[in-house]
Amino acid sequence: MLAFISRRMAAAVAMLLVIGTIIFSLLIIVPGDPAELLLSTGGGSASAEAIANLRVNMGLDKPVLTQYVTFLYNTARLDFGTSIVDNGSISSVIALRLPRTLEIIIAGTIFALLLAIPAGTAAGLRAGGKFDITASAINALLTSIPGFVLGTLFIFFFAQVLGWLPAGGYVAFATNPMQHLQMLVLPALTVGLHLATIVFRMTRASVLEMRGHDWVRTAVAKGLRRKRVVRRHILYNALGPIITVVGLQLGILLGSTVLVEFIYNWPGLSGLLVSAVEQRDYPTVRAVILTVAAIFIGINLVIDILSSLLDPRIRLQ
Amino acid sequence: MMSVRNFHKRMILPSLFLAALIIIPFAAPLITADDPVKIAVRYRLAAPDLEHWLGRDEFGRDRLARVLYGGQVSLTVAFVATTIACIIGTFFGLVGAYFRGPSEFVTSRLSDIVLCFPPILLALLVVTLFGPGSVTLVAVLSVLYFPTFARITFSEALRVTSLDFVEASRALGTPSYRIVLGTVLPNIAGPLSVQYSLTAAAAITIESGLSFLGLGVVPPAPSWGQMIRGARQFMNQDPLGIMIPCAALVLTIFAINFFCDRLRDTLDPKGASGSSMDEVSKPKAQADAPTIKDPDVVAVINKLRLETAHFGTPAVIEDVSLILRANQCTALVGESGSGKSLSSLALMGLLPGAIRQVGGTLQLRRKSDEVVDLGFLDARTLEDIRGNDIAMIFQEPMTSLNPIHKISDQMIEAITAHRPMSRSDARAHAIALLKRVGMNDAERRIDSYPDQMSGGMRQRVMIGMALSCEPRLLIADEPTTALDVTIQAEIIELLQTLRQDQGNGLSLLFISHNLGVVADIADRVAVMYSGLIVEEGPAAQILRDPHHPYTRALIESMPSSHEELNSARGDRLPAISGTPPLPSARPSGCTFRDRCPIALPACADIRPALYPSADGERAVRCLRAPEAPAGVMNHQTEAA
Amino acid sequence: MTAAPLLDVRNLKKSYSIGRSGLFSKRSLKVLHDVSFSVAPGEVLGLVGESGSGKSTIGRAILRLIDSQSDVMRFDGQDLNSISPVRMRSLRKQMQIIFQDPYASLDPRKTIRAVLSEALDAHGLHKGAARVPRLIELVTLVGLDPSFLDRRPHEFSGGQRQRIGIARALAVEPSFIVCDEAVSALDVSIQAQVLNLLADLRAKTGVSLLFISHDLSVVRYISDRVMVLYLGRVMEVGPADQVHFSPKHPYTAALVSAEPSLHRENRRIRLTGEIPSPLALPSGCIFRSRCPYAQPACAETVPPLQTVGDQHQSACLRTDIL
Repeated sequence: MLAFISRRMAAAVAMLLVIGTIIFSLLIIVPGDPAELLLSTGGGSASAEAIANLRVNMGLDKPVLTQYVTFLYNTARLDFGTSIVDNGSISSVIALRLPRTLEIIIAGTIFALLLAIPAGTAAGLRAGGKFDITASAINALLTSIPGFVLGTLFIFFFAQVLGWLPAGGYVAFATNPMQHLQMLVLPALTVGLHLATIVFRMTRASVLEMRGHDWVRTAVAKGLRRKRVVRRHILYNALGPIITVVGLQLGILLGSTVLVEFIYNWPGLSGLLVSAVEQRDYPTVRAVILTVAAIFIGINLVIDILSSLLDPRIRLQ
Repeated sequence: MMSVRNFHKRMILPSLFLAALIIIPFAAPLITADDPVKIAVRYRLAAPDLEHWLGRDEFGRDRLARVLYGGQVSLTVAFVATTIACIIGTFFGLVGAYFRGPSEFVTSRLSDIVLCFPPILLALLVVTLFGPGSVTLVAVLSVLYFPTFARITFSEALRVTSLDFVEASRALGTPSYRIVLGTVLPNIAGPLSVQYSLTAAAAITIESGLSFLGLGVVPPAPSWGQMIRGARQFMNQDPLGIMIPCAALVLTIFAINFFCDRLRDTLDPKGASGSSMDEVSKPKAQADAPTIKDPDVVAVINKLRLETAHFGTPAVIEDVSLILRANQCTALVGESGSGKSLSSLALMGLLPGAIRQVGGTLQLRRKSDEVVDLGFLDARTLEDIRGNDIAMIFQEPMTSLNPIHKISDQMIEAITAHRPMSRSDARAHAIALLKRVGMNDAERRIDSYPDQMSGGMRQRVMIGMALSCEPRLLIADEPTTALDVTIQAEIIELLQTLRQDQGNGLSLLFISHNLGVVADIADRVAVMYSGLIVEEGPAAQILRDPHHPYTRALIESMPSSHEELNSARGDRLPAISGTPPLPSARPSGCTFRDRCPIALPACADIRPALYPSADGERAVRCLRAPEAPAGVMNHQTEAA
Repeated sequence: MTAAPLLDVRNLKKSYSIGRSGLFSKRSLKVLHDVSFSVAPGEVLGLVGESGSGKSTIGRAILRLIDSQSDVMRFDGQDLNSISPVRMRSLRKQMQIIFQDPYASLDPRKTIRAVLSEALDAHGLHKGAARVPRLIELVTLVGLDPSFLDRRPHEFSGGQRQRIGIARALAVEPSFIVCDEAVSALDVSIQAQVLNLLADLRAKTGVSLLFISHDLSVVRYISDRVMVLYLGRVMEVGPADQVHFSPKHPYTAALVSAEPSLHRENRRIRLTGEIPSPLALPSGCIFRSRCPYAQPACAETVPPLQTVGDQHQSACLRTDIL
């Protein structure tokens, strides 16, 4: 087990290294001078002085290898350098905004799992039944609504038409817990519903598949109560594939959070990212993306370990 | 297998729907003469009228034109990018799977890495460097999605390449490129086309999302994402402005998803909707059940008739009657499709949902000596009976145990389901059972997982588990078919020993296609052919002197019945021609007559009953058997 | 048998690497240990063994469908170890294979015409006008109706598919066919039909067969000689009837006695213990852990194949018992 975990951790670190390298080399393979490119706005180009300043600031004047090593070293220390725009420390901005993004994601994930796993199980157990047909149809519709459209429609109905919830904004939990939670509802719901459609689909398919296995027939033949057969011999087996898919989908979830935060004016990582992209603040963009990729890899590491706990076959191979 | 016609029928609606939503935007010039980018501030947010069906937007531009031309942009970006990604990805995947080696490594690792980036973030990264625009979008989306295609192609191609028919092509000396293009590619086209639609939908989502952020398609060129962005600020005054692009976007994605779902369902019928039933169909209650008087009788199957759940289909089991007695092993013999397994599943109340009992009764003597009719029991009582009064072991020991639970847990739950026992007592009982079925070191091995055991050991576990509550009846469905011959012999011997040791006179129903095994273990034999019992009686009599031509043919077809024959000396096995008929294609009269070496014309007219012998010991379903009554014989001679 | 064998194999070895045990050392799983045999023109050599004996691996190794190592592998006078890929491709015309699973061995998307044509196209045989008569000849040869040519595999029963598989192998007129469990998936009444078909083809065309099966009676009926494998080693090889009726190796004897039979009295030789894992094989004779006659000496040396009769060899130290 320990060997398994250390092997997976080594793989995760290697993966981070590769991603760091790719992001770094993007700047190298860009045709022309990256500093000039980043400072160009529309058609006009920046002054030679500004370009030279940026080159020194980003270390672009040094040999490529030195740049690479410095980049890796600094990244490993979680030092992402300074923003081109306001020279502020990128790391501290990320430290401030990351928890807010994680809050939406965690709330959304919990909502999705609570909704989709029971619904998917019920649909899978009686595939072709009334509940399955209804739930699957709703699911098909929801799958077709992109996150930002869903968010926009939610604001329209819940905030504008019904006036139940605020249209967006952010208040720290410490300042006003109630208001904070109210503002959290719609973003979390938007992110969560999207994930829920995927989890529902996967749970249903997985339950349907597990239900047909020989060991389920054995369990029924043993005379186990139906509830126990479902819980121990169908759902428990289906859980592994479900969490693996959730892990992979979290990448897409992290992405859709960008749009959702933007819609609801939630000051998480995305606001930072979007404004950085608009201002072509490459160091900030790079830092945010590295952070998100690291979170994604970290989550999948945890999921790998979880599924090995669920399924001895993964441990034993 | 889904028929080709059915396939087309199910694809018509989604295909039309999708085609319409793709074609309409490109027919924009035919639908409206308006310019999507012409600003007319005077008419900003004008309501719909006859000339501008959908009204005008915040700059007074015609909304219909914007939705249609915006669709052109979104669809072009999405489909061009998806097509590029598909071609590149498929190429990498095929090369990786067929030639393995380094290309395999590149393909699978590359996709691992790209999958680590949330797609929209990678797009943002590139937009930062190169600035927004359609060309950038196409490039980003292609790079983003080709690894997914590579991965799917790779795993699918790997699966197909390992199939025998690809190996056959290699063995024939067909050149590699022809195998890849002519055999592998057509066989992975299904999953690939599903992925193509999925990706196209995702690409539209990302394109519109980026445009919504103002980082995608550059204004003033119209796009759905931009329209939503623009209309958002006027949501209150002008709900229509936001509804129109949202509806267009959602409808298009829905059309693609709908198409994709149907395609997936039709390509893989089992994965999608599955059987529309619950997994088990209930036994049927029949009022006319005969009463069991003989205390030795453990179970009775009387005139069982099973049909598939579709209306009007022929019976998979036409007429099966069996009496199972204590201290007796009854073998049910037949080739695949004869219905022998279904008969036994019916007795367990475990018929698959697609099969329905339409006639006959199933009766069982419980351990309390109470005789019950399975058709009159509720689900709860059936659960109490299964594993307790009647137990079953299956053909595939490798899949019959749950791979993620320990042997101990699986045995203990079988015991505590029927006996009020503490976990530790149940565990001790389980260990004792494992020792009884011949497992050395049972105390340690009870805590292993099924995958740590050989097939023979797993079958021992299954037997131990089946006997844990001392049932009166044990059904063994081809318990040794998946095992090697030396292991098979051990398991048969074990079953024999257990049968003799079991105090309460265990009755064993043994289902097999192998007459040699049956000769080893059975007291009585019932031979099945195409849903009917054709001969039944004491094993020794039937196997030595079969009266039904089918039983005779079964015995004669076995090479082990002819130890003097060798093909090298020009000998041939005495084989019968033809194959067993499907339930829908059974011949009239005797179901065996078209393969029967001694069939008479009369055999086409009369479906023979099971004629008992004079001593009542055996019965045979054949007009030409000595047991056939005189009246039938007369008819037969007349016809001759 | 003739002096020049059609196929000659000396010391065939095959191992798979299976992950790593440490960070760098790769573990390997040996599935074949120095297997040597030859097949004469027109001869049927039966290969018998339980799962894990490596019998299917041998068939695929000879056809170069998988990599393997051997001291000698000659087919029809050509060295398969040093043959160029181009020569190998044309040599495939002479060596063919029939598979176990009649459902997996035919491409569900191809008609029978396409399946058989692929075989002919691969070697440029019977082009143009000669094609159709040849296809009809082939399906007739395996006892199918020529009208079946334009049907797809799912329209056929298991036995019919197996006949199509045989027709595909015969299309290129090979001199040698590997039959890998070719009748194992078939019901007994169909199995007899296919066995008779193979016997007829053999008499008619003089093709050599390597007949791989776990079923001893089937192998005995169809083969001239039989080779018994256990965990990748040859235990016994000899004339079919002799190996079957008077086996000289305890493993063969146990195998024969374990086979259920309608007609023989049960005089089973009991084997003790379980089949050892291929990762932890016993020293000396690999069968000794289950052998009822094992002695301490059996752990010392790997018993070589010794001649025990006319063309009959057995790899057992204890020549005194059987």
